[in-house]
Amino acid sequence: MTVGSQVKGCYSSIKSIEASLEILANKVQDEKAKQAFNQVEHIISDVKQDLHYQVIEISKQEPQY
Amino acid sequence: MPEWIIIILRSLTLIALLFFMVKWLGTKQLSQLNIFETISGIVLGGIAAIHTIDPNTNFAHAAIAMIIWFIVPYGVEKIALKSKSFRNFTQGKSTVFIQDGKIMEDNLKKEGYSTDDLLEKLRDKNIFLASDVEFAVLEPTGSLNVLPKRENLPLTAKDLGITLSPTKEPQTVVMDGKVLLESLANLSLNPNWLETELDKRNIAIENVFLAQADNDGQLFIDLFDDQIAVPAPTEKPLLLATMKKCQADLELFKLATENPESKSLYDRNSKKIQQAIDLISPYLK
Repeated sequence: MTVGSQVKGCYSSIKSIEASLEILANKVQDEKAKQAFNQVEHIISDVKQDLHYQVIEISKQEPQY
Repeated sequence: MPEWIIIILRSLTLIALLFFMVKWLGTKQLSQLNIFETISGIVLGGIAAIHTIDPNTNFAHAAIAMIIWFIVPYGVEKIALKSKSFRNFTQGKSTVFIQDGKIMEDNLKKEGYSTDDLLEKLRDKNIFLASDVEFAVLEPTGSLNVLPKRENLPLTAKDLGITLSPTKEPQTVVMDGKVLLESLANLSLNPNWLETELDKRNIAIENVFLAQADNDGQLFIDLFDDQIAVPAPTEKPLLLATMKKCQADLELFKLATENPESKSLYDRNSKKIQQAIDLISPYLK
């Protein structure tokens, strides 16, 4: 596996984490837990944006992919 | 009227009367009877017994006596609810036996407790050394409640400074294969959700003996058929594991890349995920 595909794999894992967190945040009854889930979801979505940018960068550098 | 019919009628009336009286006197009596309440209970039962088996007695007398023995304890209880001083008088006050780790000999004597009695009561609470106790109080009901010294108290999450996710009471959503709609509604879930969860694990609702859901919507199941292994809910542990894996991946990318810009980006995000893991892990356990 090239670095590009590895980073892409990580990027999709991050996306899945974000989705799971959103589901949990909606399901959880407790206010405090809901807040925690939302807060973490924000952090993860920041990471997602950074990684998205990185995925584009790498695909530029490795034009064969 | 033959006597046996009278006895049957009397029994039934007295049972009904006694039933309602006991109900109105409240369940509090059962858990903490003081002497007065115990005696009034026994007397009520006694009156009912005497007038049940003896058809020659005057039934009206029985009713009067029972009502008196019901009204007085009932009234005392109601007044005691309102007035603290009256409560102290009828229900008694608690007596401090051990304060600041020191045994109050005078109070022991006042309550008629010997040192052996005190030690026995402490042993009841699993305390074998009187010096382990910070505070002990004898309740009016006769039980001794003990606060051990701080270092002898069981360790709690608060002592260790661990954050725990708050838990609410779990709800039983399926009993004997029947869905309990009310408890589902308490968790703001619906039968469709239950069906999906069961489908996910390939289980028919008829086979579910008991299913309970916690307030995060995790379902725990016991089946009629004990040969089938039920998978535990995996959603949360899986999420935590994925987060940890992503963080490790980012660390690896950081080490692998030579571009300083990418390096700092990976580093920054790996730290962010670590922070996220620290925040969320109490809720995912």
